[in-house]
Amino acid sequence: MGQIVLQLFQSLGQTFKVFVLTLVFSLPLGFVVAAGRMSRHKLISVPVNLFIMIMRGTPLILQLLFVYFAPFYLFGVSFPRFTACIVAFVLNYSSYFAEIYRGGLQSIDRGQHEACYVLGLNKFDEFFCVKLPQVIRIVLPSVGNEVVTLVKDTALAQTIGVAELFRAAQNASSRLFSVTPIFIAGIFYFIMNAIVSKSFDILEKRMARY
Amino acid sequence: MKKTIVILIALLCMSTVFATGAKEFGPDESLEYIKGKGNLILGLDDSFPPMGYRDENNEIVGFDIDVAREVCSRLGVLLVLQPIDWNAKEQELATKQIDCIWNGFTVTEERKKILTFSESYVNNAQVVIVLNDSPYQTLDDLKGKTIGLQAGSSAAEALDDSPAFKSSIKGVVEFKDNLTALMDLEAGGCDGVVMDLLVANYAIKQSAKPMRILSQGLAQEEYAVGFRLGEEALANAVTNAMKAMVADGTMANIAEKWFGADITVIGK
Repeated sequence: MGQIVLQLFQSLGQTFKVFVLTLVFSLPLGFVVAAGRMSRHKLISVPVNLFIMIMRGTPLILQLLFVYFAPFYLFGVSFPRFTACIVAFVLNYSSYFAEIYRGGLQSIDRGQHEACYVLGLNKFDEFFCVKLPQVIRIVLPSVGNEVVTLVKDTALAQTIGVAELFRAAQNASSRLFSVTPIFIAGIFYFIMNAIVSKSFDILEKRMARY
Repeated sequence: MKKTIVILIALLCMSTVFATGAKEFGPDESLEYIKGKGNLILGLDDSFPPMGYRDENNEIVGFDIDVAREVCSRLGVLLVLQPIDWNAKEQELATKQIDCIWNGFTVTEERKKILTFSESYVNNAQVVIVLNDSPYQTLDDLKGKTIGLQAGSSAAEALDDSPAFKSSIKGVVEFKDNLTALMDLEAGGCDGVVMDLLVANYAIKQSAKPMRILSQGLAQEEYAVGFRLGEEALANAVTNAMKAMVADGTMANIAEKWFGADITVIGK
């Protein structure tokens, strides 16, 4: 029993790396995508819109396979396993985040823009000091939702051979021919998400003053 | 409307990329390719005891692994073990992410069309596992019953090759791995599970579950190492190394260690 936990703990690092790297890249990239989506130039907004449609409209498991295998057929080279995994996760999650951000940005009343203009704030101050804090407050619950999903989605990384937590649990299961390791993995995921949920609760409270 | 067309075209492009199948091959430089880069990347589903799996220290071990390590040292290259998703094994091989599939890999007619195999080294059979207290004794007894098996495994092909049995049963349920199939059997979801004999023996022994193997099997089959289609030079080199291991007794030692008997068939 202790040995199973220890073994799963070792693979937790890989799961954690997928999780953190995906967030680090997709959270900011989401803003870029959202900006592209809202752009007035058709040349930008149409392709970005298409990108979001494809990313949200096809399964993540297919995107993982595509990012990993397609470059070889197209160019004869491919990403390393782990890089391909992160690229697929980041592209997928940034499109979800983008739509959440867009909802937040568009919910801010135009009157505030006028107020900022009257008060003589420049565009930079208007965005970072007035709009952004409110946007963050508005989007936090939805972002939290996605982050919780991401913790569980990391289990898909094994499709292209990234040895994360769930894969390790399945391996231990087939070695022992028992389901105990898979249940233990379930507890691991639950604890991780309990931490994520709690963190978002705290963040939401702190942002409530905006 | 325009947008819809663009999306359709994009999807079409995605699908054609995956559909690109067999390509024309130049001269066979497979052995030089392996020697040139100095390693052989062995792709395996690391949840396939006793052929290749993770032990309690998270190390990949097994009969195939021991044989492959010895073969590689004789070829003068390094053995690299790469766990893969079993359903993506052909893609992994075709895109050169791995160099061979060496993991209790059954030779089938379907696979021969897309892969080049070494000579077979172990005989295997597809058998049916049932619960101890079930009344089933022969394949006929399973008429109108549900059969479980691992998706993408040779059990599925063995079933296709036994049309009489396949048409007599009620249906097939596919699972991600053998363990899930056996759990379903235990829970009463299916009445029998088709899998490799060697794996079945290990599974019943390890889990101590009240299950038995029907003496009437589905098909005799053989394990071999799979390479990219046309890589005869590499396949022959591996075959010859294995034959040399049989000649000097190394192969028998490894087989004794994992199966308790020398069940290998290569070079005999």
